[in-house]
Amino acid sequence: MTHLATLFPSLPSALAGDGDAHGTAHRAAEGAAAAATWIGGATAHPEYSWAGWILLLPLLSAVFCFLCGAFRVKNKLPALVTIAALGSAFGLVLTLYLKYDPTHASGPMTVHLFDWIRVVWGEKPGQSFVADWSLYIDGLTLFWMLFVTGLGTLIAIFASEYMESDVGGNYCRFFGAVGIFLFAMGSLVMGGNLALLYLGWEGVGVASYLLIGYYYGKPTAVAAAKKAFVMNRVGDLGLLVGIYLTWRHFGSIDYATIFKACSETIANGSHGGDWTKGLIPYFLMLGAFGKSAQIPLFTWLPDAMEGPTPVSALIHAATMVTAGVYLIARLYPLFLLHPHALHTVAWIGGLTAFLAATIGMMQYDMKRVFAYSTVSQLGYMFLGLGVGTTFGACYHVFTHAFFKALLFLASGAVMHGFAGQLDIRKISGLRNVPGFKIVAWTMLIGCLWLSALPFTAAFFSKDTILLVAMTDESHGNRILAWLGLLTALMTAYYTFRVWFRVCGGETAYQPGDEAHGHDDHGHDADHGHGHGHSHGHAADAHGFHPHAPRFAINGVLLLLAVGAILAGLPGLIEFLKMGPNWAAEMIAASSATIGVPNLTEGLAGGHAEHAHHATVLGMDGHTAMFLLSTVAGFGGIAIAAYYHLVRRRAAETLKQALLANPLIGWLPRALENKWYVDELYDALFRYPIVVFGGHVLAWIDRYILDGGIINGIARIPAWIGRLFQPLYNGLLQGYAITMVGGIGLILAWIVYVWMKGGI
Amino acid sequence: MTTVLPSLASGLASVALAASDAVVSPADPRLVQVALVISVLLFVIGLIGFLTRRNMIMMFLCTELMLQAACIAFVTFGRMHMNASGQVFVIFILTVAAAEAALALGLVVLLYRKRETLSSEAWAELKE
Amino acid sequence: MSAKLYLIIPEIILVVGAVLVTVLGLSRAKALRDAVPGATVGLIILAFLSVFAVTTDERLAAAGLLMPGLVVYGKSLILLVSASLVLLGVGLVDRRLERAIGSGQVAFDPIRVQRGEHHAFLLLSIAGACLLCNAPDFIWAFLAVELVSLPTYIVVASSKSSRKAQEAAVKYFFLGALSSAVLLYGIALLYGATGTVELEPMRQALAAQAASGGISTLAIVGGVLAILGLCYKISAVPMHFYAPDVYEGAATPVTAFLAFIPKAAGFLALILVLDVFGWSGHSFTRGDDLYIIERGLPQPITALLWMIAVLTMTLGNIGALLQKNVKRMLAYSSVAHSGYMMIGLIAGPAGIDGVSGINATLFYLLSYAIMNVATFGPLASLERNGEEIETFDDIAGLRQRHPWMAASLAIGAGSLIGLPPLLGFWAKLYIFMAGLEAGQWHLVLVAAINSGISVWYYLRLINDPLVAQPTARSETVTNGPSIWPRAAAIVTAGLLIVAPLMLGRLVSAANGVTRGEATTAVAAPPTETVVSDASR
Repeated sequence: MTHLATLFPSLPSALAGDGDAHGTAHRAAEGAAAAATWIGGATAHPEYSWAGWILLLPLLSAVFCFLCGAFRVKNKLPALVTIAALGSAFGLVLTLYLKYDPTHASGPMTVHLFDWIRVVWGEKPGQSFVADWSLYIDGLTLFWMLFVTGLGTLIAIFASEYMESDVGGNYCRFFGAVGIFLFAMGSLVMGGNLALLYLGWEGVGVASYLLIGYYYGKPTAVAAAKKAFVMNRVGDLGLLVGIYLTWRHFGSIDYATIFKACSETIANGSHGGDWTKGLIPYFLMLGAFGKSAQIPLFTWLPDAMEGPTPVSALIHAATMVTAGVYLIARLYPLFLLHPHALHTVAWIGGLTAFLAATIGMMQYDMKRVFAYSTVSQLGYMFLGLGVGTTFGACYHVFTHAFFKALLFLASGAVMHGFAGQLDIRKISGLRNVPGFKIVAWTMLIGCLWLSALPFTAAFFSKDTILLVAMTDESHGNRILAWLGLLTALMTAYYTFRVWFRVCGGETAYQPGDEAHGHDDHGHDADHGHGHGHSHGHAADAHGFHPHAPRFAINGVLLLLAVGAILAGLPGLIEFLKMGPNWAAEMIAASSATIGVPNLTEGLAGGHAEHAHHATVLGMDGHTAMFLLSTVAGFGGIAIAAYYHLVRRRAAETLKQALLANPLIGWLPRALENKWYVDELYDALFRYPIVVFGGHVLAWIDRYILDGGIINGIARIPAWIGRLFQPLYNGLLQGYAITMVGGIGLILAWIVYVWMKGGI
Repeated sequence: MTTVLPSLASGLASVALAASDAVVSPADPRLVQVALVISVLLFVIGLIGFLTRRNMIMMFLCTELMLQAACIAFVTFGRMHMNASGQVFVIFILTVAAAEAALALGLVVLLYRKRETLSSEAWAELKE
Repeated sequence: MSAKLYLIIPEIILVVGAVLVTVLGLSRAKALRDAVPGATVGLIILAFLSVFAVTTDERLAAAGLLMPGLVVYGKSLILLVSASLVLLGVGLVDRRLERAIGSGQVAFDPIRVQRGEHHAFLLLSIAGACLLCNAPDFIWAFLAVELVSLPTYIVVASSKSSRKAQEAAVKYFFLGALSSAVLLYGIALLYGATGTVELEPMRQALAAQAASGGISTLAIVGGVLAILGLCYKISAVPMHFYAPDVYEGAATPVTAFLAFIPKAAGFLALILVLDVFGWSGHSFTRGDDLYIIERGLPQPITALLWMIAVLTMTLGNIGALLQKNVKRMLAYSSVAHSGYMMIGLIAGPAGIDGVSGINATLFYLLSYAIMNVATFGPLASLERNGEEIETFDDIAGLRQRHPWMAASLAIGAGSLIGLPPLLGFWAKLYIFMAGLEAGQWHLVLVAAINSGISVWYYLRLINDPLVAQPTARSETVTNGPSIWPRAAAIVTAGLLIVAPLMLGRLVSAANGVTRGEATTAVAAPPTETVVSDASR
């Protein structure tokens, strides 16, 4: 059972005749033992040092873009260079993937690029702090890098057209920040130790900060950037403490060393070290929650939509926000150090998924709806991690990246075309607006996928998570699974609420407040967009023409739609029992498997196993989930169709009725105001700090610090300095005499020391 | 205490003695001693001159004096060790001194044109 | 012999280039005169490339150097940084004259243009610093030190037409001549004590003395005088008095040059002097006995360096506290940083795998050079009514009109403080670790306290440009005539952020300096040259 064949089902499976596994503990032990063998095989691969270019290329392109900014380049050169660099990086990742065979038991590869930090003060373990520029390449790394660089390239192509009204300094700034982001994300994912992970973690934070505040003239954008910055610092502090504790307990921050030690302790069943070891997962978790916008640090992500839409798609939907999931998947063994750590992750994830979905139902800003849905989907991923299916979580990250990027880019195309209009009440019937057909229909694909209807990619990934939660022995996890199903219903509702509103119905629209800027473009000749879309709205009287997307935007949308469809293939193959899930193979060949209870889920053997023992509502688990998901998905769509397509007025009537009802009137109000979380945080943290900082500190400063102690001490050096000031009298002779005198004094000191025999 | 302090106090003369004791030399030790004392005296005179004179040309000549003191020391030690390195060094020092002289006189002329005085005290604008 | 000639090909390029640049600067065509800074930078880069082309292990071995590793590291450090220092001065010399010639007010007169000479002198000074890296004997070293200094005196005098510059030049020159005399006398005494001016034989002779009853008093006194003379070049106490005045008086690009090139030369020369004193340990045989000299300096030399380091750090930092002029403040800070670097000199080369003080010093020198350009760059590239900016009033609220310069200044100051992600932090960390490893914890404590004091005044360099409100003076600050000083400032400020990513590479480059040296010391069999030298 502990043979490698457990992990790699393409080898003749030993599972069929090996009987059932009973209980998670048993399975955990197997996984751990197998993983221990596998991790022990971490090998250095200096011949892959070219993989360093995956990091270097985006960095170089960023430098190039900033130089373009300095030299006032006023064309699309920065975009082209960035696309080329990211595309080449993607090519390199692909090459690496093709060279790396997950089914071959070669274990993780480490590539040492060059020495970085080497602080050594002793021989023993723990008496050194070594962090080199080295890469740690296993299935998880490649899995992540494939979609990060791939989507990065696509979104850069999209942005080259989307940002064209900014060509010039801002264009350079934008692509420079994108380059920095890809570099940082690369070092986060590929780095071979926690220092590189932290570097990348802060790097993506910086890039995100720069890009959220891209429209720095807008106060809301600046405030959003600041909010994201502060909330992420809270998380980062947790991560930093977690890294410190990890280093303290394992004597190293190198993945290879940590995992080796972890798989040994898991195999031995003992956790050495003092109680602070149990805190490691909680601190790391805090970092993950900050970056991935989970309770209690989720409010920054919807505000981050102030950034340009391609950024929202790339950073705040597809890649950066999944860094938290990556962190937990990568350091999964560390999350077994405390028995309740994973339960906490599961509960936070499940609750966030639910809470964000409720808020999403009542938002009118298209991007905000999708932002809350991102928070909600991230919640699912954490739920998956918490219930022990790293594969489900990671696969959901993968599928989500495609359809969510698609949705964001589609709403970006709408925003681009309608002068910044995002209010779903002010655009309707997009599917009939000339030039927006592709946008409308690709958006439909995104919506279907987000709703996780059967045979879409998200169906396979999300249901893996929910099935595992549903069939878990823990009551808590089963409650979370039902909550997740309810959330799925709401997801389908709010997703199609957007689509029916924006794309369905009669064609009618008002431009957003950027109408002027876009009208001045004079691109009309290129676009050849139609007319005759006036439906009595005021803005149309001024001759507003929607700015139909061109080749780059449409092309990227189509590519993403294809990508979203293809992302479901591995799940489909598994579903049809035609073979193992590709994603599961990739994740199985990584540190995310060490001690994972539901290790075999998604692999061919795992299916048979689950089919035997997992039942939901008296049915076979898969069948039940299939039915439940179908019901939830179509139920949500049906409700949305009724209120937002067939009888739009009914939605407003219902809302008014609800608001008027004294018993539940607070609910829609609370939802519209995002459960007053921002206000709560203000009351809890901001006001006390403002009051404390503004008054108490000022008092302390005035009467204690300024008055005496600190300033007094600070004055001593200056006072000594004044003693010496007469020596610098500006006279040549004076200086010469002081120098010679100084030499004399020093000689006297030497003689004194010499006589005394020591300093 | 008894060996070191006087050696510094008496202007390194006894240092030279110690040196001539330490190294076996075919040269006459007394000649070496006398030459070294002259060298030390020259250096000290140059130093005192530099510190006390205000005329910039005089100050410059005092630094030349100190350089020449070093030259004498080099020649003496070369004689003492019976090798030519000291003498070679002196040639180069003379070159450097010539370069410094050219530079110093040029500088002094420039400064004289500005202030009509050669006193170094005229230049004390830069100070604390 | 030919090995030595090959190794100085970079310097030959610089010196020939100096002649070339002088002629170019006298040209009647304005385009050719304007090409002078570019040609200078080009020559420096050519010299930089030639360093790698001509340096081979065989030639290094044949050249009889004390520290062969210095050749590549020291020269490439000096050349790369000096290229950026030359860029800081683009548009400095002859600005008014060229404008007058351009507008036809003044006829071109080869006597009056200075740009060619200015750059030629810079090249000569740089060549001197490079020559120090492969000095096999003290004649070479002394000439190199003088070659570094003499051109800088002229450059200071001619950098501005104001009286301040001339006053700075006169102080710099006279005190420099005094210190040269002290250095030279020290070398003379060393020669007297050992009978040779060549570094390697001198080290062996001193080692022989140490093995048989201690290094002679004459040698110690000579070493002390030589070190004190060199302290002038690195502006260490008590030879630092000129620094504030000269830095304030010279034009800002020249100040930046003074804060690095002579300092680098001084430290390279100090490394040679200290290595002669058996810094890195030594073993040799005499007769049948094998003598192993414990590594470490003679006690008086250590005491001297210790006192100089403590005084330099302290006086530099508390002096800087009181300044209102940014350049003067940076002068004191330059003094203080010399003090930090001396910790590495005291620590000396370490054992097999410990942190080596000399490497830490060299790494610090590199970091300081970059910070230096990043902080002086904004001052050099901005001006107010044609005058250079130098007070804190001038840089207040700089972010509004010159955000890049404000950022560069703040990053440079942050790095000078030693704020963690920036290069300066790592440099300080290495120096402190080297000090701790050598058991000099009181020295490190003093340095740490001093770093704390320094935050006080460096913060003004961060606060004034970034946070403070613009003043009437800073409102009228405009960009200088050339883009290159700005480019140099921005690039170096960027380097301060990016270079820590390459920390390992930079440190191992610095480590290469002693690694080669250690292996030769181990590999070289105890030869009879020691014996013959000692008995001569």
